[in-house]
Amino acid sequence: MGEMNGEGAAGAAPSATTGSGLDLIGLTKVFPGGTVAVEDVDLHIDHGEYVVLLGPSGCGKTTTLRMIGGHDFPTEGDIVLDGQSLVGLAPHKRPTTTVFQHFALFPHRTVLENVEFGLKMHGVGKDERRRQAVDALEMVGLAELADRKPRALSGGQQQRVALARVLVTKPKALLLDEPLGDLDRLLQLRMRVELRNLQRQLGLMFIHVTHNQEEALSMADRIVVMNEARIQQIADPLTIATQPETELVARFMGDNNIIRGRVVEHDGDRFVVADEHDVRASVVAPGDGRAVGDEALVSVRAAAVVIDANGAGGLNTAECEVIFVEYLGDLVKLHLAVGGERMLAKVTGERYPEFRGREGEKIRIAWKEEDVKLLRA
Amino acid sequence: MSSSSAPDPILAEVEEAEELAHGVSREQALGIDKSERGGGWITAAWALPGGLWLGFFLLAPLVFIVLVSFWTYELGAKSGFATKWTLSNYGTIFHSSTYWHNMLGSFYTSLIAVVACLIFGFPIAYFLALKVQSLRNQIALFIIALAPFWTSFLVRSVAWTYPLSEVLGKFGVSTPSTTSVRLAMIQLYILFMITPLFFTLAQVDRTAIEAARDLGGNWWRTFRAVILPQTLPGIVIGSIFIFVLTMGEYGTVLVVGQNYVQSVGTIVNSYIVGAVQYPQGAAAAVLLVLALVAGVLVITRFSNLREDL
Repeated sequence: MGEMNGEGAAGAAPSATTGSGLDLIGLTKVFPGGTVAVEDVDLHIDHGEYVVLLGPSGCGKTTTLRMIGGHDFPTEGDIVLDGQSLVGLAPHKRPTTTVFQHFALFPHRTVLENVEFGLKMHGVGKDERRRQAVDALEMVGLAELADRKPRALSGGQQQRVALARVLVTKPKALLLDEPLGDLDRLLQLRMRVELRNLQRQLGLMFIHVTHNQEEALSMADRIVVMNEARIQQIADPLTIATQPETELVARFMGDNNIIRGRVVEHDGDRFVVADEHDVRASVVAPGDGRAVGDEALVSVRAAAVVIDANGAGGLNTAECEVIFVEYLGDLVKLHLAVGGERMLAKVTGERYPEFRGREGEKIRIAWKEEDVKLLRA
Repeated sequence: MSSSSAPDPILAEVEEAEELAHGVSREQALGIDKSERGGGWITAAWALPGGLWLGFFLLAPLVFIVLVSFWTYELGAKSGFATKWTLSNYGTIFHSSTYWHNMLGSFYTSLIAVVACLIFGFPIAYFLALKVQSLRNQIALFIIALAPFWTSFLVRSVAWTYPLSEVLGKFGVSTPSTTSVRLAMIQLYILFMITPLFFTLAQVDRTAIEAARDLGGNWWRTFRAVILPQTLPGIVIGSIFIFVLTMGEYGTVLVVGQNYVQSVGTIVNSYIVGAVQYPQGAAAAVLLVLALVAGVLVITRFSNLREDL
């Protein structure tokens, strides 16, 4: 699946010899019993980059992270950081550290002792490690709680202790396994900003695993979407959100309308795809080899769908029945149906009065050709 | 990694979000408001059956034994004693060097049993809880480990006498002897150590173990930092079990020791069954109970000291 690197030059052809950054090369993990957790993953990550591995549970993202950290061992492939292979090294010999899910603090040690632990293990003298630990706690704003036990801290504070504990060991790459999963939603939103801000300050490589699309979009420099052990797409958040390459990415990112049908017209790079209800969408897809009659999937973002009361039938438009009007404050989701197929349109929250109570009515929607993406199966 | 001394606006935002999310600060939330608890008499009513049960089956016999220990031995009386108050039973026991000699011997045996059960039991519990991967296999192996308890106590004790004498004989240790009794006790009671250890070890936060390894902790450091502190309640409970069970031991001493070995338990028995000296036997038993209470207090105290390990 080498051709799947949506990134082009930056993501393709990782080279162990060029030196800088982290390279995953043909990384594969087969668990005893035959379950393939990770299959042939190629990925290059630069220093200072914030990369999010995103996917549904069981997609292989956590196993990939654990292999980088040394907590799982690849069946095949290599992990190279700055020209040095990590595969043969124990977790603590690697220049990576992991922030584990649920923080994994030592409950019987104080905050300061938790933070000091890594330095103590690396043989740093008592005064020096105390100084560094206090520095790290100051950086995350917890110096005054140094003598508390973890259980006396709130979730957000525990999270910050976990960060301070790994940062004191001065890793080259920080691995974060669902770091915000245990926090309340409101706190999650704030911690996103804090975490990203911290990463920018430090200029460190952060690799962050999550199943939360919004979290990935808001934090990442680049998102790696995974499914069923493989990489589906690697791209920056804007591209992932607006130009999904595969059906999985389109569905997983949510709020994409997928039209499943066949190519009915083909003119150079321009295709027209029609589904069984004769909803027709045109799309420009340079280099796609499909011919008239071939199966094709296209996606249209819900936010790109406009309500077009006066439009007529034809290309890039459809007549729908309103199923449900969902008001979400800033925006309104219109759940629609064309024949048996569900579609979704999003309009701004101010327009709620225009649509309130219109369930059951017919409505015409339309979209632009440039908002249509032809998907790989 | 330098830090600015000015308050970080983003950190302040996070604190604020936390307070909004929880409604109150965590300290407030953790404080238990006593006025919110239901009426005291309802709670008392719930506790009543259990209280009666404990009072009748546990406390009453103990009180009765204490009473008898202060009453007078009387040869002709139907019960073997008269309800005349005396301290002479305790006087006799206090001056019985045999009693104190055996008390010390039993204590020493208990100490050895506790330490041996901990040393041999911990690796077994550790293996079951942390090395066996699936819960199903854990439970299966645990039940297999329990299998000796499916036979009766007497069968297990008797079963030990022959192999013990064979094996110990090869090392020049005569049987029956104190050593053979102690070995039998360790085998017979070790499950009372393994069980609480297994359950506390199974609850140890495994990601904390991984985190310790990730930060450079070798096996021993990880054990000290993460596993041991979280297993301490199991160690304490197991130690109390072994201590109490072996200190007052009587059956194993009788079966494996075959009258050649004595313990506090057999002394108490000899007063009651042998000499039919109920008041003196009761006094000996009360002193044993006091010794056990003292031992348990020492063990729990020790664990409190180590809580901040």
